[in-house]
Amino acid sequence: MPSTNSREPRFEVMWPLSRKAVQRTAATPRLPDLNDKTVCELWDVIFRGETIYPLVREYIRARFPRVKFVNYTEFGNFHGAREHQVTATIPEKLRAHKADAVIVGIGA
Amino acid sequence: MVERLGIPTASIIGSGFLKQAEVITKGLGVPLAMGVYPGAPMVDSEEVLRRKVEETLAPGLLMGLTGEAPHAADAASEPEPGDVVLNGTFDEVQEYFYRHLWTDGLPVVPPTHERVDAFLRFTDRKSDEVLRILPQEGREASILSIATTGVMSGCRPEYMPVLIAIIDAMCDPIYRVEDSGSTPGWEPVVIINGPIIKELDFNFGQGMMRVGRQANSSIGRFVRMYLRNICGFRIAPGAGDKGSIGQSFLVAMAEDEDTAREIGWPTFAQDRGFAAGENVVTVHSVVSITSPMYSAGDQAVQHVQQWAEIMGQSFTYWAHTGFKTGLWNPLIVAGPSVAGVIAREWSKDEVRRYLYQHVKVTAERATHYARMTSTPTFSFEHLVKEGILPPEYTASTDPERLVNVFIKPEMIGILVAGDPGRNQSRAYMGNHIQGPPTSRRIALPRDWKRLIERRG
Repeated sequence: MPSTNSREPRFEVMWPLSRKAVQRTAATPRLPDLNDKTVCELWDVIFRGETIYPLVREYIRARFPRVKFVNYTEFGNFHGAREHQVTATIPEKLRAHKADAVIVGIGA
Repeated sequence: MVERLGIPTASIIGSGFLKQAEVITKGLGVPLAMGVYPGAPMVDSEEVLRRKVEETLAPGLLMGLTGEAPHAADAASEPEPGDVVLNGTFDEVQEYFYRHLWTDGLPVVPPTHERVDAFLRFTDRKSDEVLRILPQEGREASILSIATTGVMSGCRPEYMPVLIAIIDAMCDPIYRVEDSGSTPGWEPVVIINGPIIKELDFNFGQGMMRVGRQANSSIGRFVRMYLRNICGFRIAPGAGDKGSIGQSFLVAMAEDEDTAREIGWPTFAQDRGFAAGENVVTVHSVVSITSPMYSAGDQAVQHVQQWAEIMGQSFTYWAHTGFKTGLWNPLIVAGPSVAGVIAREWSKDEVRRYLYQHVKVTAERATHYARMTSTPTFSFEHLVKEGILPPEYTASTDPERLVNVFIKPEMIGILVAGDPGRNQSRAYMGNHIQGPPTSRRIALPRDWKRLIERRG
């Protein structure tokens, strides 16, 4: 509870945080039609992705039958033992697969 | 990262992680499109999981790829480093800082310019020097931020060289400070070696891990405060810290180097490649602590056998996380009297070798624990094939085969400290690749001796 004693010493206190140094990036325009497009999957090999990704594929294919998926196994586990090495290879692999869109998971 | 490549991206996020995702997104400066999985996938039936994917997650992902591009939230305007944000009484300062989520819930020392300047006198580095842009809020790890947090945590100005070394270690990408808010709720512990232990009055004897000695206590508090304020790992009503249950700060450890020298063992810092007499900090994650390990007898094996049994009971369950990543580091705090008995017969490497060979788990149990935690696809065969684990882990296909809990002997740390009048030790377990032991030499200012003498 703040004190009301006017004879108490006062303190000029500094902001305790530090400057944010964030470079902002605008999102890439989306793809209204996924037919004939390539969607690549990235998975950190946890939280039942082996069950979830096939269901997501099924859902999207039902709406865009000519969509192509590149399975997460093509990219390796981007979280964990080989994280830095795997992450470093992802841009090149996405280019090689001609990725039009990417699904990343799983943060849970 | 992928969005920066110019490729539309949608992420799968559990509903319990939305606030953390928001913090990370702001820190990266990249807008996030996502599909949300309601609840926790690890506890849902196949039927419920399918329903949640079809009704919520997959539509969200599809919208994220095909709908309107996500927009980043506007960055809120903030004061500049060094700005005065309040002129108030002690109580008013506490209220103001608490409401802004700038404290750990305990009263802080008001960070006035005078107090912060006193800390800055204990370093030759400039106050605006930045060690790294830190995840997850994307803030500068500046010398000024270290001094300010040191003041607030109740440190003395002369701790400043230690505080800088700690943050420098935590800035090392190997340390992975970005994982400080992961759900296991691990906590860093700082380990001090060198003459600075006595110069700054660290407790390395009885009660070494209790609050009570200012150096140990305030430096432990400083680490948690820095993670909270500068890195952005805050529990609710803040965001960013997803420790599901978590633990509170650990006071800093210091080694009983006199005993280590007397019994002929290298210090913890020497084991890590530093010379005797160098001042060194090591930051080490702690996810689990054993019960007190009492051991008796005048032979080395009697004590180390007891350690193996108790560490096995405490750490075996979590071993699967080390197996998945190929790394985890137990740290033994060996009581001085116990260490003395062991050192008459065994080197530290022989202790490590014994523990490596004698702490075991069946492959079936380790697999079960991994599947219970997060990884239904856990497989020793896959980990060996990937080169993450050595081939001995698949020496047979028998699920009842015993595998080593500790992946390599050299991953085991040993530090001599604690109560010389009792036969007790304790062990601390790191959280695999999150917060592995990371060390830095402590750089003292040029006029350290004069400054220390003047403190009275």
